Amino acid sequence: MEFDNVFSIPKHSHFSWEQLGDIKEGRGDLGEEMPVLVYRLMQYTMLDVLGHVYGEDVANEHFRAAGHLAGTEFSKNVLDLEVDFDAFVANLQKSLMDLKIGILRMEAFDPETGNVVLTVGQDLDCSGLPITNENVCNYDEGFIAGILEAYTGKKYDVREVDCWANGDRVCRFNGRAIS
Amino acid sequence: MLYNPADAKLDAEKLPEDFQMLGKGLQYFVASVQEVRALAKALASGDLNAALPSSGNELAAPLKSLHASLRHLTWQTYQVARGDYKQRVNFMGEFAVSFNMMVEQLQENRVALINEIEKSDRKALELEQSNSLFAAITAEISQWIIVIDRNTFEWLFSNHTPEIMLTREQFQSQLEKWLVHYVRRFNDEESAEQTGLPQPAARKESMSVEMELIHESEVQYFGVRIYPLQWQDRRALACVLSDISDEKKHMLELEDYAFRDPLTKKFSRHYGMKTLHEMLAAGKSFALCFVDLDNLKYVNDVFLHVEGDAYIMRIVKTLDEFAPDAVICRLGGDEFMLIAEGWSMEAAEARLEELRDALQQDHNTPEAKYSHSFSYGVVESGGTEDLPASELLTLADEKMYAYKRAHKVQRGAPPGAAPAAAEHSLGK
Repeated sequence: MEFDNVFSIPKHSHFSWEQLGDIKEGRGDLGEEMPVLVYRLMQYTMLDVLGHVYGEDVANEHFRAAGHLAGTEFSKNVLDLEVDFDAFVANLQKSLMDLKIGILRMEAFDPETGNVVLTVGQDLDCSGLPITNENVCNYDEGFIAGILEAYTGKKYDVREVDCWANGDRVCRFNGRAIS
Repeated sequence: MLYNPADAKLDAEKLPEDFQMLGKGLQYFVASVQEVRALAKALASGDLNAALPSSGNELAAPLKSLHASLRHLTWQTYQVARGDYKQRVNFMGEFAVSFNMMVEQLQENRVALINEIEKSDRKALELEQSNSLFAAITAEISQWIIVIDRNTFEWLFSNHTPEIMLTREQFQSQLEKWLVHYVRRFNDEESAEQTGLPQPAARKESMSVEMELIHESEVQYFGVRIYPLQWQDRRALACVLSDISDEKKHMLELEDYAFRDPLTKKFSRHYGMKTLHEMLAAGKSFALCFVDLDNLKYVNDVFLHVEGDAYIMRIVKTLDEFAPDAVICRLGGDEFMLIAEGWSMEAAEARLEELRDALQQDHNTPEAKYSHSFSYGVVESGGTEDLPASELLTLADEKMYAYKRAHKVQRGAPPGAAPAAAEHSLGK
């Protein structure tokens, strides 16, 4: 073609919710779901490549940042951010279960500080991984922080304290609000 | 390690080289078991904030998972206690089913309770509105509503105070007595009705009566309607009192106007004839007296009508003494009619003669200006001849004339009295 496309179409390297596309239409026969195996295949191969290029810690930071972006967009497009905290948590639990991300369970919430303790069982990222004595859910840390920030408007530092890959059966996260 | 864990110590360095790895593995295993034991002990005592086994302790993983579940359940239970009934427990088998059922039940109960409270609030509001309406009506209406206990006669309710409703303080005790009397009467008639005994009227519904409160010359009339009712688990009567004094006085005035002679306040001719007809129709026995004042025309002519009226009143006073229950009517001018039930002709004549004598004695003194006297004729009902009222009266009239002719009375001053005043003797 001798002419350039002058229309501005964002590239897929710039994430937006709409860019996820119409999966139902695009995958008319195969449908919207796929095995967890495929998700993990992509995740851990990417971690492998990034780890080799940038080092393990930097790769984990990038994963956390990607999870944060996902959590923020997920909150804006899927969750109702106008309801009270109890309803918000109930909706979040249901959404995570419906999308088969994991079983979210609240353990503690301090309304004064905004600090939170929660667990994710049967986690998409790690449940069933071989035990390597490490916490691997960096993406989840960012994802949870993004969600909490979108709802509360506060900055959050979320760290995984128990992980399947570290010999536990549920992943436990401590979320600390940073005003 | 099993029975005395405090003493389960092993120095791997002292072991032969080939066994050192085994010794170190054993040390790690013992430490892992001790961590698990400590967490299990804390969970058994309900302590969910105990220190958790270190990361990498795989032996503790199921217990940590249980710890996480218990922490979550604690949070959920707290949420439910705060009224968050959206909480559900997932993937915990029978416990999850029971817990979720309990929360659903709590939610249903809460909804039912809220509905009940709302219903109750609505009812309370309606009741409050009804009460305020009732209070406004009872305070505003002129009727006096008194609710009385039928057993104790206690006043359970009164929308006005006696001070406002009664024109005299003395009426209050009369009113209380009157109400007690009618409560008793109502009770008696109802019990007569229940025992099947004959009773004047059905009193289960309501009763209407008039009440008259009298003190000295003052009278207050009430129309009273009495309704039976059950109130606050008490058998009661609601008495609605309307002050009808004005109506009653007006009615008495009208009656007076229709049936009374304006001067003497004795019954009118119309009333007298009506009574005569009724007594004859009822076949009653009575004496009918026709009384005519002597010399009234002379008194009027000579001493003017004021004196004539005074003369008439003196005669009326005399006739009043005939008998307390005699019906006295002024037929017109100087003519009066007396109907005395149960009196014979002879007895009536004797009584009238006696009264005539007394009148003459009292008034025909030397100072009198004119003679006081009357003539009479008496007939008796219930005789062989069944005469109508007008004929009976005519007969009495004729007998009166006969008497008058036979007992001619001097017109002027009685014998020995001073002559009448010259200015009056010209006549009119």
